[in-house]
Amino acid sequence: MALSRDAYREFEDIVGKENISDDPAFLDSYAFEWLAELVRPNQSHFMPRPVAVIMPASTEEVQAIIRICNKYKIKAKPISTGWYHWAAPLKEEDDTLQIDLRRMNRILEIDEKNMYAVVEPYVICAQLQAEVMKLGYDINIIGAGSSTSIVASACAYAGPGPSSFWMGNNSDNLLGMEWVTPTGEIIRTGSLGSGSGWFCSEGPGPSVRGICRGTLGSRGAMGVYTKCAIKLSHWPGPRELDVGGTVPAYRLPIPDNFRVYTIAVPDWDAWADIYYRIYDNEIGYIFHRQFNLAGADLGPALWLNYNDPTKTLGDIEELVEKPEIKELTDEMRISFQLIMAGRSMRDIELQDKVLDEILAEAGGWKVKRFCEQDMAEFTNMYLQRMGHKHMNFVWVGGYLGSWMQSGTPDWVKGYVPIAIEGLYRDAANGLLVECGGDALMGCGSQIGGGGMTGLEQFVSYDPADSDSIAAGTQHMIDAVEDATSNGFPPGKEQLYLQVGQKDEEIWASLEKSAQPMIYHFQRKIKEAFDPNNIGDRMYSILPEETS
Amino acid sequence: MDPKKEQLIGIVGKENVLDDPQTLEAYAGDQSFVLPIKPWFVVKPKNMSEVQELVKWANETRTPLVPVSSGPPHFHGDTVPSVPGGVIVELFLMNHILNIDRRNKMVVIEPGVTYSQLEPELAKEGLRVTMPLLPRGNKSVIASLLERQPTVIPRYNYSMPEPLRNCGVVWGNGEITYTGESGNASYSLEEQWRGGLVQVDPKGPAQTDFFRLLTGAQGSMGFVVWASIKCELLPSARKLFFVPAEKLEDLIDISYQVQRLRLGDEVMLANNSQLANMLGKNGNGAGVLRDELPSWVLIIGVAGRALFPEEKVDVQEKDIADLAQQFGLKLLSAIPGTTDKEMLDTILNPSDEPYWKLKHKGGCADIFFLTTLDKIPQYLKTMYSVADTFAYPTPEIGVYIQPQHHGVSYHCEFNLPFSPKDAKEVAQVKELYSKASQELIGQGAYFARPYGMWANMVFNRDAQSTIALKKIKRVFDPNNVMNPGKLCFQES
Amino acid sequence: MALEDYRADALRCTRCAYCKWIPLDLIKSWRFSKGCPSIEYSNFHSYSAGGRLVTALSLMEGRSEVTDQVIDSVFKCQLCGNCDVTCKLCRFDMEPLAALHELRLKLVEDGHVLPQHKPVMEGFRKLNNMLNKPKAQRGDWADGLQVKDLSSTKAEVAFHAGCRYSYDGDLRQVLTTSIDLIQNAGVDLGIMGKNESCCGGRAYHMGYSPDYRKAAERNIKAWANAGVKTVVTPCADCYHTFKRLYPGAGSQVEVLHMVEFVSRLIEEGKLKFTKSIPMRVTYHDPCHLGRQGEPYVPWQGKEKKIFGQAVVYDPPRPRYNGAQGIYEPPRNVLRSIPGLELVEMERSKEASWCCGAGGGVREAYPEFSAWTANERIEEAKSTTADAIVSACPWCERNFIDATKQNDTKMKVFDVMELVQQAL
Repeated sequence: MALSRDAYREFEDIVGKENISDDPAFLDSYAFEWLAELVRPNQSHFMPRPVAVIMPASTEEVQAIIRICNKYKIKAKPISTGWYHWAAPLKEEDDTLQIDLRRMNRILEIDEKNMYAVVEPYVICAQLQAEVMKLGYDINIIGAGSSTSIVASACAYAGPGPSSFWMGNNSDNLLGMEWVTPTGEIIRTGSLGSGSGWFCSEGPGPSVRGICRGTLGSRGAMGVYTKCAIKLSHWPGPRELDVGGTVPAYRLPIPDNFRVYTIAVPDWDAWADIYYRIYDNEIGYIFHRQFNLAGADLGPALWLNYNDPTKTLGDIEELVEKPEIKELTDEMRISFQLIMAGRSMRDIELQDKVLDEILAEAGGWKVKRFCEQDMAEFTNMYLQRMGHKHMNFVWVGGYLGSWMQSGTPDWVKGYVPIAIEGLYRDAANGLLVECGGDALMGCGSQIGGGGMTGLEQFVSYDPADSDSIAAGTQHMIDAVEDATSNGFPPGKEQLYLQVGQKDEEIWASLEKSAQPMIYHFQRKIKEAFDPNNIGDRMYSILPEETS
Repeated sequence: MDPKKEQLIGIVGKENVLDDPQTLEAYAGDQSFVLPIKPWFVVKPKNMSEVQELVKWANETRTPLVPVSSGPPHFHGDTVPSVPGGVIVELFLMNHILNIDRRNKMVVIEPGVTYSQLEPELAKEGLRVTMPLLPRGNKSVIASLLERQPTVIPRYNYSMPEPLRNCGVVWGNGEITYTGESGNASYSLEEQWRGGLVQVDPKGPAQTDFFRLLTGAQGSMGFVVWASIKCELLPSARKLFFVPAEKLEDLIDISYQVQRLRLGDEVMLANNSQLANMLGKNGNGAGVLRDELPSWVLIIGVAGRALFPEEKVDVQEKDIADLAQQFGLKLLSAIPGTTDKEMLDTILNPSDEPYWKLKHKGGCADIFFLTTLDKIPQYLKTMYSVADTFAYPTPEIGVYIQPQHHGVSYHCEFNLPFSPKDAKEVAQVKELYSKASQELIGQGAYFARPYGMWANMVFNRDAQSTIALKKIKRVFDPNNVMNPGKLCFQES
Repeated sequence: MALEDYRADALRCTRCAYCKWIPLDLIKSWRFSKGCPSIEYSNFHSYSAGGRLVTALSLMEGRSEVTDQVIDSVFKCQLCGNCDVTCKLCRFDMEPLAALHELRLKLVEDGHVLPQHKPVMEGFRKLNNMLNKPKAQRGDWADGLQVKDLSSTKAEVAFHAGCRYSYDGDLRQVLTTSIDLIQNAGVDLGIMGKNESCCGGRAYHMGYSPDYRKAAERNIKAWANAGVKTVVTPCADCYHTFKRLYPGAGSQVEVLHMVEFVSRLIEEGKLKFTKSIPMRVTYHDPCHLGRQGEPYVPWQGKEKKIFGQAVVYDPPRPRYNGAQGIYEPPRNVLRSIPGLELVEMERSKEASWCCGAGGGVREAYPEFSAWTANERIEEAKSTTADAIVSACPWCERNFIDATKQNDTKMKVFDVMELVQQAL
C-alpha cells in the first residue's frame, strides 16, 4: 500500500525532500535482502516493499518520525548497515516505513581514560577500531565482520565475535544508550539517564536496558537505538596497522608480543578439552574457529588459493587434489585459530609456554603451514579487522547459517557430528556446495572469560538457481528436524524460516517452547511500550489468547 | 486466629510463620535511616513451590511481601517494609547448594546460601566465587549479586552483574520463569544438567535480559529462588602488593593502567581509615592503626591458576612493578600497619563478627555510587566539605574505591562510622548523609542502587527511566505486592 | 553483453554493503574510510553498487520503471570501480562495475539519457572531442614540435594526447614534456595532431556505446594505417580505454602510460634528474590508471559449477580486482626526483578515492563532482603534503577547480610536470 500524501508530506517536512523517497526502484533496494529467496513465495529475492524510505540525521528527527508513525499507524523499521532479511519489512499487509540510519554516522566521543566510545548507528566496527587503535585501544568486532554497525550488534541483535573471549560480547560491552521508544519517548539508559555520562548501562535500580535486548535484540521492532557507548579494550599492538600483502589477501605483520596460531586437534573431545583449558588458563586475545567456514574438505585449499593473487576460484579444483593439500586438509580438519597478545614480552612468552603445555596435555598441535609467516600474517589481518567476513559468500553468493546453538564446549560437541552428517547428506545431490560436512564456524567463547561457544554451519547455495535455493530451504527444515530429534533446540535456521512463516506458525512453535510465559511477558512489555504496534513481529510475543 | 496467619500456615507450615513482637521488631528497621515500619508476619518458605503459593496469595489478598535472604544486620533499608501490613519472606531455609560443576566453573545455589557456607564447599572442587569486599558471614550470595554489590576482581567483571548468570524466578504476578539460557529449557534443573546445560549464558531468554530486571530491584520484581553463578578457579599461587601514596590523585593514573592491562586479581583503592576498619583494628585513642597506615593505598592481589601458577604470579608482579616504576611509585609487600599476608587473609574471607564496619563505633552509614575514576577526587572533596559543615571528623571517613567492568566504572564508597546509641550523632550523620548524597548526585555521581532516601533523589532526575520502570513493574508485579514503596514504585 | 547477462550478479548480491567502503582492512580512520562517492553524497542504498544491482533486477523483473530518480541514481556515479575492488575481496563471481556499465548502456539505449550529456555528445559527434572545442585547434599544442604526423607517415609508436590535455591550457605542458622525453629516448614517435580523435572512453562511460565504438574503430584503423605498434598516452582515461576497452573492438597495440615509460627509463638508467624539488607531495591514483588500469586478458567463456554449486568459469575468467593496477611506476618516478618527499594518503592504490570527474559526472553533476574532488583534497591536506600529484588530466582539472573554489594552498601537479622541473 502507498503512503498517504499527508503522511509523506509530514515525513518530508522533518527530513527534507532529498532524504525521503517512495520511488519503487529505491524501495526495492531495501526490500531486496539476502535470505529472502529461501523463505518468500516463489523464491522472491524481495521482502515486502516499504511504503517509503526515510533518512533522519538526528535523534530529534527520529523521534518526530516515530510520532508520525504512531499517528498514521505505520510500522517503523530502522535499518543501519542492513544484514539479514529481517532488516526489511516483513508483511505485505503492513505499511512499513524503512528508516535508514545512514546519515547518523558519527563517532561522538572517545573517552580515552575511561575506555569507551560513543557512536551513532551507522558507525561501523572498522571505523571505530581504526580510530581507537590510534589511542592503543581495540573493540570487539562481531562475527559478521567489521562492516557492521556497532549500535546494531550491541543494542539490537547479538554481539559475539572472535575477540569476545578477551573483550566481551557486545551485550557485555554496551554502556549507556539512547533509545527512541516506539511511542517516540527518548529513554537514556543507566548513568546516561541520570545525567552522569555514558559509562554504565545498569540501573538506576533494575536496568531498563533489560527490556531492550536479551539473547538477541529486538531486531528493529522496538523503536530505534540512536546512540550507544561501547566499552573499549586494550590493544597492545601498533597504533596504525601496517597492512601489506596484495588485494584481496591483505596481511598484517605480527609484532613480537603477539602470536598467531592455527591449532588442530585429533577429535572433538580434544577440541572441547582444549577450549576448557584455554578458558582456565586465560590465554588468548582472539579465539575463533574461522577458516572452516569454507568447509573442512575445501577450506585449506581455498585459503591458500585465496592468498595467491594470480589464482581464481576454479584453481581450487586442481589444488585440492594435490597430495600435500590432501595431507594438510586432513591435518587441520578440526582446527581453530588463536591469537595471543602479551602486555609485555614476559607475558607473551608465558602464554606461549602455557599453550604448548595445553597442546601437549590435550593432544593438539600447531598447523605448521598456517603458522608460516604468510598465512599467519593473513590470519592476523583477517581476525584483527574481520574485513573478509563475507567469505561466507565466496562460493556462489548464497550462504545460510544453520545450527549455532550456544552452550558449553561439551554440549556443543554433542551436536557437531549431527550437523556434519546433515550437511554431507543435504549436499550430496549437488544442489548445495559440497565443501565437506564440517563448515562450522564459531567464537572460541561468545562470552567474556570463556564458558560458552556455538558453531554455525555455513551452507552455500546459489541464489540464482531455483533448485539450489530449494535445497537451501530444505536444509534448514532438515536441520531443525536433525536438532530436535536429537534433543537439541532448533538453531539459527529457525530464525530464518520464521521470517517466511505466518504468525500462527510462529506462535505455535513459541507455545511449544519450554517456558512460553517468556513470550507472554514480552507481549505485555510490548503492549506497555508499543501500544500502537508500530514495531513488527521481530520482537517475539505470544498473543493473549494462547496464555 | 488471624485469617491471614491461618492462610500462611497453610502454605509454609506452622513452625514457619512467626509473629512474635521480638521477631517483628527485628525487621522493623535496620542500620539505615529509613522509616521503621513493622511487618505483620515473618514466613519461611522451603522451596520454589511455597514461594509461588505465597506470591499468589499475596496477589489475592493484596499483601506486601518483602524478600530477605541475608541475615542481619541489614544496611540499606530494602528489607524494611515501606508500607504497613507486610510479610517478611525469609529465604534462609532455601539454603542448598544444588550443583557444582568444576569443568564449567559454575555453581547453582538457593538464595539462603551464604558466602561462609559456599566458599568452603567450592574450595573442595578447586573453585571459588568472587566475593564483594568483606561480606558478612551470613550474607546471601544471591542477594549480594542481585543488588550488584561490587566484587573485588575487576578482571572478571565483563559486565556489571557478573558473576551472576541465570535465575529461577517467581515473579510478582505468581508466574515462574527462568532467566538466561535456562529459560529455554525444562523447569527441571536436573533435566537440564542431564542434557549438558549448565545455566552459563545470562542473556535472555528471547529479547529480554530478565535477570537485569531483578538486579538492583530490592526485591520489587519477584523472588529469585535459585541462581547460577560463574566461579573462578581456586588459585594455587598468590601474592598481594601495596602501592601507597599520600594523595589519592597520585594513584589515579596507575589505577587506570592496571585496569587497562587487566593486571591483578583483587584490585581496590582505600584510604587509611578504610584499611584500619577492614583490618578490624580501628579504635579511638592514640596510636590508632589508621595513623600508622599510608594515607592511600592501591591494593593489588595477584593469583596464579591452572598451569604454571607461580610463573603467572611472577610475570604479573614484574609487569606491575614496571608500571609502578613508570609512575614513580613503589610496589611493596608490606606497609606500616599491615602485611601482604594479613591483607590477603582479610580480603579473601567474609567478615568476622561483629561485622567489620560496626566494630569501630557500632554503626556505619555508607554513601556509595558509581562514577569514572577521574571524578573521584572531586567527589572526595565534596564529601569532606559537607562533613566539615557538620563537624564530622573527616579522618574517620573510610573511602573504598572498587574498579568495576574492567575499569570503565568505579564503585566509590564513603563509610561514616557513628554511635547509634548517641541520638545527637545519629541525627547529625543522617543530615550529613542526606546533604552529601544530594550534592554528590548534583555533581554527577551515579547512584545506581537507589536505597532509602536516594530513591527520590535519583528518580526525580530521570523521568523517562522512572516511567519505563513503572511500566516494567506493572508487567511483572501488576498488584505491587513485591516490596512496595521501594525505588520509584510508590503506588500500587 | 546485455543487462540480462548480469541478472545472476544481481541475484547473488548479498547486500553486504562492502561496496560502500574501501577494503575494510585498509581503513585507517573514520574520515577516510568511505569508498563510494555516490552513496556518500546521496545516501539512498540505490546509489551504491549493490543498490544499482537491485535497480537492474527490479527493472528486469518489471517491478519498477525508469523514473527520474532511477536515472539520477544510475548516472550520479563516476564508475570509479572502488565497489568492484571491495566486492571482490570476497567474491570471485561478481562483476559489479561491469553490471553498472551495462545498466547505464541499457538506459541510454532505451532513450533514458541525461539532458546534461546531450550537448557533450553532440560535440563529440561533430568535433571529435569531449570538450566542445574546435576540431581544428586540437593539434595546436604541437606547434613548433618536430614530430611525425601519423596521418601521413608511419611510426612504431603513437603518442595520444587526449582531449583534456589538448585543449586545457593549464595542463598542456605535459604533452610537450612527454614528447621531448620520448624523442630523447630515441623512439620512433608520431602523433595524429589535429587529426587525433577522442578515444571515446568518456562516451562509453556515459553510456553511449555505439558512439564509443565508432571512435574506437576510427582510431584502430588510423593506427593500423600508420603502422603503429605501441600507443603512449599521458591521460589515464585514454590509457584505460585503449588498454581495457579497445581489445574488444579488435585493437592489438601495446598501450603504455607516460609514467610507465618514464619509470622504465629510470630503471634502465636512461633518465637522470638533475634538479631538486624540495616539496612534500602525495600521489593520487587515477581510477583508470590504478585499479582499472590492469592488463586486459581477452576472455570468452561460460559459467560452470564445481563442488556442486560453486561458480567458476570455463575457461578461467580473468580476475580484475585492482591487484595489478599501475601503482608503482608513478611512485617510482616521484621517488626518483631529488628533494621530493612522497607521502601516501590513507586511501591509495586500489582503495583510492575518486577525483570526481569520471563517468560523465563532471559534465552532468558539477556540484557532486566538485564535492568528490574536495573530499580528496581534504585527504591530501591530512597528509600535510604541499601538493597533490596525479597522472590524469581529468583528475588534475577537477582538483585545480576544487582548490580554486576553496581557496586552498594545495598545489596540483601532473607527474610529468614534476619530471620536467627536475630535469
